[in-house]
Amino acid sequence: MASKKKSYVWLSVLSLVVFIGIWYLACDVLKLTKASTLPGPVTVVGTFIDKLTQTAPDGATLFQHIGSSLQIAMSGWAMGVIIGTPLGIAMAWYKKIDLYARPLFDLIRPVPGLAWIPLMILLFGIGLTSKIVTVFLSAFVPCVLNSYTGIRQTKDVHLWVGQTFGASDFQMLMKIAVPTSLPLVMTGVRVALGASWTCIVAAEMLASTKGLGYMIQQARGIYRPDIIICGMITIGVIGALFSWLLTLVEKKVIKGVKR
Amino acid sequence: MSETIVKVNHMTKKFGDLLVLNDVSFDVRRGEFLCIVGPTGCGKTTFLNCITKLYEPTSGEILINDKPVDLKQDNIAYIFQEYSTMSWLTVEQNVAFGLEIKKKPKDFIKKEVDEVLEMVGLTKYRDYYPSELSTSMLQRVVIARAFAVKPQLLLMDEPYGQLDVDLRFRLEDELLNLWRQTGTTVIFITHNIEEAVYLSQNILVLTNKPTTIKARLENTLPFPRNVTSPEFIKIRSEVTDLIKWW
Amino acid sequence: MTGRSLKGVGSYRKIGAAAISIAVFLLIWQLAVMFTDVGIVMVGPVEVIGRFFVSMVEPIGHDTIQMHILWSLSRVMTGFILGSVLGIVLGILMGWFRPMNALFRPLYEIIRPIPPIAWIPLSIVWFGIGEPSKYFIIFLAAFSAITMNAFAGVKAVDPELIGAARMLGANNRQVFTTIVLPSCVPHIFAGLQIAIGSSWATVVAAEMVRASQGVGWVIIRGQDSNSTVQIMVGIVAVGIVGFALAVLMRWIEARLCAWNVRGK
Repeated sequence: MASKKKSYVWLSVLSLVVFIGIWYLACDVLKLTKASTLPGPVTVVGTFIDKLTQTAPDGATLFQHIGSSLQIAMSGWAMGVIIGTPLGIAMAWYKKIDLYARPLFDLIRPVPGLAWIPLMILLFGIGLTSKIVTVFLSAFVPCVLNSYTGIRQTKDVHLWVGQTFGASDFQMLMKIAVPTSLPLVMTGVRVALGASWTCIVAAEMLASTKGLGYMIQQARGIYRPDIIICGMITIGVIGALFSWLLTLVEKKVIKGVKR
Repeated sequence: MSETIVKVNHMTKKFGDLLVLNDVSFDVRRGEFLCIVGPTGCGKTTFLNCITKLYEPTSGEILINDKPVDLKQDNIAYIFQEYSTMSWLTVEQNVAFGLEIKKKPKDFIKKEVDEVLEMVGLTKYRDYYPSELSTSMLQRVVIARAFAVKPQLLLMDEPYGQLDVDLRFRLEDELLNLWRQTGTTVIFITHNIEEAVYLSQNILVLTNKPTTIKARLENTLPFPRNVTSPEFIKIRSEVTDLIKWW
Repeated sequence: MTGRSLKGVGSYRKIGAAAISIAVFLLIWQLAVMFTDVGIVMVGPVEVIGRFFVSMVEPIGHDTIQMHILWSLSRVMTGFILGSVLGIVLGILMGWFRPMNALFRPLYEIIRPIPPIAWIPLSIVWFGIGEPSKYFIIFLAAFSAITMNAFAGVKAVDPELIGAARMLGANNRQVFTTIVLPSCVPHIFAGLQIAIGSSWATVVAAEMVRASQGVGWVIIRGQDSNSTVQIMVGIVAVGIVGFALAVLMRWIEARLCAWNVRGK
């Protein structure tokens, strides 16, 4: 198996090399496309290095944009996790809460987080608050959904074991249902992070003076696709990085799974 | 402390219109090993679940030490038919589960768990997770978890039903050893007549739906029993004749 | 399923509880708008619902609200269908032929972590502000969600089934059409379900950034004209359609693969 896998690695490398090669030849060498439509990889890398230190044309260096986006995305995401996960757990465990809170949750659930951006801007102004609230909403929904489903996967037989040992309802929740739900809770946390990241980019494209979303939106206005591509790659890399970090945390937190 | 630990008085259980248990009465002596046998699907599990209040009986009462069942007070352990080890806990934590629920002090739990792990031969595997263990090991974990709380009453619902014969024999012997060492009262449900005769001091034979008690047999064969001895075979055929419903 | 689900609760009680909690929520909202400072920036549910119905006859901009919904839906459907067809084909090819996987995986992995929304500016530069740029973004949204699921579907095919089929003399093509394709259908539907949700969110974002009609445009135009009620009408429309799309997908799935209904 392993040896067979190895034999295809060259194909992967080849595919990347050909892709970048064609892009380079067409755009940087032969100049088949205008720089205002599709710049070549060399131009993009150049812009990337420039953007590390220069504030032009959008008023901030790449790191300042990253910092601004991260700050908002992380605060909104953390709030979504801290509020959404316990709510999902409570809804799944306590019938009363399920009966009364679930309908309200179902009401906001089909609205994508970013659709709230304009409303939040009107309510809270263009500052941090409106963006954090919007990011919170997009992180909140997957956290509730996944922890709810996770608790529902509790096995009857485990509850019976607890019950015959004389466990209280709360003990059964904490010692049986919550550990059962943990893998899905973590999935929710990871999905929420992706949603937060998407949402902050959208919010910054619509109303902001800083951040990666703002940077690429501004670059569009002045026909600088090289900056747009830099921004997109940065957004992608940071997103992938966080999702990878969370997978590491997941492996630490979730015990007893065969790997 | 009275001689009788469990007293079942005229217990009846209906699910809707379906009469599952019909007027069942019997006693269990302290320290007794009682086997309940009956045809498959005759309501044996319902019966145990009534004792542990997983179901409420429709009428009649179950007394433990002359009082109605109170799971927080009465020290009961139940070994279920399904695999019930918790995948997120190590062997040691699984075994400690009942004691944790009962909020015993940490060092007490440690001591009891060490002891019971030794008894079932799992000391080496204490840090393993259930996904890393074989079926027989998992069964031992469940048994250790039950014995760790030093239950005054141990209920077992076909715990060896899905195991192969060789392994079943070994675990049955281990169970008998544990029972003799601890003096726990055991109610053991099975549809396997040979298993019932091999383990029990008393056998309760149930009839098919609605379930009632058909007979109660005393089984005084000395331990360890030999499944091929004429006395063993005699009791076995006696039970078999009682159980036949065709 | 645990004994703790709402199985035991009668549907009348469920509907009753839902009605009560939604009514209480709307009432508090309405009262807050009428009697507190919330009313300065926010509108009440009565006004929102009223305006929603009014906008079905009186246009917002050039179109009534149902026309805006249709605009958005037509964009979603075009991009979604293109994206799912290509995503399913590519995912299955990558799952079944290892060289295909080696060839496309690196490129796919570069695109995958970039949220479709981040493509909006580039797509406008490439395709202009008209419809094609929106189709492209939604295409990407659907495509990236479905490819992985179709791939996972092929990978999840029970090798024993394949072995059994081969033993009965099935050739490669037969194994593929009779075993691999049917057994990855549930995975593909899981992907389609995610894709339709993400396409819908993406079209709203794209219309908010640049459009002259559609539900996203209704919302952003509401912001520009400081009309909270118009924003809320847009949000209500987005919610209703988002819900309807999810239900529709689940219904199609239940019809097409009755043997394997995911979840409950």
